[in-house]
Amino acid sequence: MKRRHTFLIVFFITLLIILSLIHINVLQKSTEDLQQLIFWEFKVPRLLSALLAGAGLSISGLLMQNLFQNPMAGPYVLGINSAASLFIAIMVLGVAPSFWGVFSYVGAAMCGAFISASLMFVVSRRVQNLQSLLVIGLMFASFMGAFESILQSFASPEQVKQIYIWNMGSLQQLSADQVPWFMFFVLAGISLCFPVIKALNAFVLGELHAAQLGISVKKIRIILLLIAALLAGSITAFCGPIAFVGLAIPNLTRALLKTQDHLILILFTALIGSIFLLVVDSMILILDPWISLPLNVLTAGLGAPYVAYLMLKSK
Amino acid sequence: MIVFKQTSIGYQNALIGVHELSLPSKKMYALIGRNGSGKSTLLKTIIGQIPAISGDISIYGSSVQELYKIHQKRSEKVAFVSSMFMGVDMLTLNEYVGLGRIPQLGNLGRMQKEDHQIVQEVLEKLKIIDLQGHYTSQLSDGERQLASLARAMVQDTPLLVLDEPTSFLDVFNKSLLLEQLEDWVSHKDGRTVIFSSHDLENCIEKEIPTLVLANRALQLFEKPTKLQVMELLQEDNNQF
Repeated sequence: MKRRHTFLIVFFITLLIILSLIHINVLQKSTEDLQQLIFWEFKVPRLLSALLAGAGLSISGLLMQNLFQNPMAGPYVLGINSAASLFIAIMVLGVAPSFWGVFSYVGAAMCGAFISASLMFVVSRRVQNLQSLLVIGLMFASFMGAFESILQSFASPEQVKQIYIWNMGSLQQLSADQVPWFMFFVLAGISLCFPVIKALNAFVLGELHAAQLGISVKKIRIILLLIAALLAGSITAFCGPIAFVGLAIPNLTRALLKTQDHLILILFTALIGSIFLLVVDSMILILDPWISLPLNVLTAGLGAPYVAYLMLKSK
Repeated sequence: MIVFKQTSIGYQNALIGVHELSLPSKKMYALIGRNGSGKSTLLKTIIGQIPAISGDISIYGSSVQELYKIHQKRSEKVAFVSSMFMGVDMLTLNEYVGLGRIPQLGNLGRMQKEDHQIVQEVLEKLKIIDLQGHYTSQLSDGERQLASLARAMVQDTPLLVLDEPTSFLDVFNKSLLLEQLEDWVSHKDGRTVIFSSHDLENCIEKEIPTLVLANRALQLFEKPTKLQVMELLQEDNNQF
């Protein structure tokens, strides 16, 4: 690691801590007794949601961009989140029995994410240019959305509301007792990246050259799809489909760090992803007395123009 | 030492048959053949990317069929330079050449001091050391071709295979490349270079042993003459 990287790591960690303190102090003050309760039941879970979802989604996007050899890949734009949410809608509506509470949602979301990510991977090998994949991902997402709408027509008004709110994406759905599980899934996903860093670096040259450099391409392909699905699926299950973070943050990180070394990219993508969602959620909290903004309105508001800029630049 | 033993090469159907052929070490070989004669298929088989249909090629004691299956082993025996490297955004020349060390690195992909040293040496030899901070996507075609060669050289394998390595190089870089390959094969452990080319004149002038691929067969000329090779190539009307 170069000196510049060490400096940037210290800088971003400091920024992260300052933003976390701001985030946790924004929620309105109340009486002493309530303070304690609010702190552990609301503030801490919400803060952790922002940190983990930001880091996890960004890394999921980074892995997909590497595997698909396409900087325009990401869990949201390729419909991975939509597939996860379709599978969750199936769960909510009780089409499938939900025996294990939260696990059935997470499991369903991960299955949806893995199946759709694999499908998009197959598609990505057939399209040549970067933008076509985005268009196909969009089609796929609308197709999933259509299915979900059909399902909703069978649902009770209560269930429809539940799915609707969840689809807006939010960092306040996580309850205190779910926090350890959420941490477990996301941290497991991130840790699993480290043994494949060498392979990720080789994949930059394409699968053909990676094979010549001794990488077991088929094995790594599946591992990367599984990690990306684990991260995108579990985050979608706990926070809803969050838009554009997975696509925009890895691109921002590469442009900032100017490297293709994936150890550095993973560390910084996680940090910058966390910081991004913290800033966005703090804005939501600060604006809350006047207007209550859904999370996706802000992530898309900031992420979509950046993605458009990337596309214009890539021509 | 590379030995062909009753090898037939192709995808579903055999395109090329090589009955017996040995290529001794410490030499570089040019591979010449007409368009569509199966040069790329032959190269892909030698580097282990596609399996031989039958028979075998022994590459420094390892069977190509084994290299096809076990990527780790492949990376220890043969390095490959494709005809065109387009460059990658945000990937510097130094990082790119360093990727050649991947087979020697641990899972975290950290380069050690000696890995960096090897990279620096090769960059110096190929005279691209001043470009090492540049992005590969912003280099010229010729510079990228030299960069690909550098990446393959740091891999430190006994066999180096290049697909038309001189196509984008100017006269000076062309002779630099041949000079460096000559130097590379003279290594004490005995190394081999095979490169495909359309530049027959150059091979004749420099007395490079030439493998001529024509009429579904591979023939070695230690000191090719223009007449011999042209005659063979003209006969070759087996376009696939």
